[in-house]
Amino acid sequence: MWENVKLGPEAFDLSGKRALVVGAASSVGRAIALALSEAGADVTVTTATPKASEVLAVKRLARQIAVTGLRREPQILDASLGAAVQVMVRQVVKDMGGLDILVTAPDLFLGKAAEKTSDVEWSRIISVNLSSVFHACRAAGREMIRRGWGRIINVASAMGERGLANSAAYCAAKGGVMNLTRALAQEWGAHGVTVNCIAFGWLEDSPGLGEPDPQANRLIRFIPMRRPGNADEVAPLALWLASEAAGYVSGQTFFVDGGLTCHL
Amino acid sequence: MYRERLELKDRVAIVTGAGRGLGRQMALALARAGASIVAAARSEDQIEGTAREVEALGRHALAVRTDVRDSAAVDRLIESCLQEFGRLDIMLSNAGIGDAITQGKELWDVSDDEWHDALQVNLSGTFYCARAAARHMVQQGRGVIINVGSGTALRGYSANFAYAAAKAGVIALTKSLAIMLVRHNVRVNCIIPGFVVQSPPADQQAADFIRERGSYVPVQRLGEAWELGPLAIFLASDASSYITGQGFIIDGGGLAGGYAPVGFAPEVRMAG
Repeated sequence: MWENVKLGPEAFDLSGKRALVVGAASSVGRAIALALSEAGADVTVTTATPKASEVLAVKRLARQIAVTGLRREPQILDASLGAAVQVMVRQVVKDMGGLDILVTAPDLFLGKAAEKTSDVEWSRIISVNLSSVFHACRAAGREMIRRGWGRIINVASAMGERGLANSAAYCAAKGGVMNLTRALAQEWGAHGVTVNCIAFGWLEDSPGLGEPDPQANRLIRFIPMRRPGNADEVAPLALWLASEAAGYVSGQTFFVDGGLTCHL
Repeated sequence: MYRERLELKDRVAIVTGAGRGLGRQMALALARAGASIVAAARSEDQIEGTAREVEALGRHALAVRTDVRDSAAVDRLIESCLQEFGRLDIMLSNAGIGDAITQGKELWDVSDDEWHDALQVNLSGTFYCARAAARHMVQQGRGVIINVGSGTALRGYSANFAYAAAKAGVIALTKSLAIMLVRHNVRVNCIIPGFVVQSPPADQQAADFIRERGSYVPVQRLGEAWELGPLAIFLASDASSYITGQGFIIDGGGLAGGYAPVGFAPEVRMAG
């Protein structure tokens, strides 16, 4: 592979690749879907849950992608149901003629004291944030293993690495996504499928962030860059991970967090 | 929008250890993205070669013979860059020596000099480059420092423990520098390669060795130096604007595993 490699910015070109973004109503899911499309990939987007606001968001996103890319029907489903995801992936593979890139980005937060968290709340946070990621990886992985090539990018949060008060279920789910990523990387490495994770820190639309002014907000002052990031700053990392050039990258979590996880 | 953010047009990069292997590939990648390149290393012939390749891509290049163990030489390297190009945007500290030094020796047979030399070239060199580059980047109000660590820093490496210790130092240095320089709009990150082949195998024996070693990696092959190029572009460019203090591990899945040999996959029924 030493000859004729795409070494420059053209390495980030994804023309001819087919991508599925599960949970594309989240801000990072949306930004990654648009970035993949801009890089030339054929992109299908889905909801993580059939909630009206998500349905609306992915429909709008699919229209936006269709302005410059191919028009693909947005998929409305509850990704916490494994069978629904399998059926959807099979349909998407048929429509696009294959599947090269999977991005999972469901994101449902609950800020609540652990001792007050109900069974239903715990299960919901785990199934939306973690189980749906497994369902999507499993269904897409089957297709990718068959073809001997694939790129899976799971979007988690730095809260999967660090604990936060009033966030036990969310932290557990996101940490689960990181270790799911490591396990799948071991299992599917020999099949040409890489599995990686992007963990974002505080973003402009993060629930609970509060006042944008650092003077008034000690959380923002705590971030080394003294500002929350935005989803557009997370997306380019996904382009690299989805590219041919990232074939030797697997099982890793990459933090896009303004320095959050590197200070004391 | 994303494509433009990967552009390095009008940016100037210093790459140490640019004469061959990873450094050469990363220098060429940065050049392809539009950057002017200052190629530094101890061997004049090799950096001249890299500089000519950069020029063949239509970019400006300067070769400066530098031994990163010598802090005065590193200061002169930065001065040469500023004299030629008037600015410095990207400091890619790649110079390091992975073999020799403590390779294969028993702990008690390693001399003070060997230990210090491993730290000097692999850790102090990175510090000298960051210090000299930061002086200018802080004035400039922006900059990117990219260090190169090693997967050996993250687990024990008996074959070359001084190298592993020095590279662990590079990773820790990266995080501290990231925090120290963040208010000056200077980002500091670290590329952490696992087993990566530096150049195409010269003969069949070398190719066989590479193939055999690849079987110990989850993706069933070793990495190749060119695969670090696009990552260097990403970290050097505005596409990584919210990323600082991070180590990017590129090791074919090795560090994510390690609980059992590669390929070990138990099949056990759920109890009960």
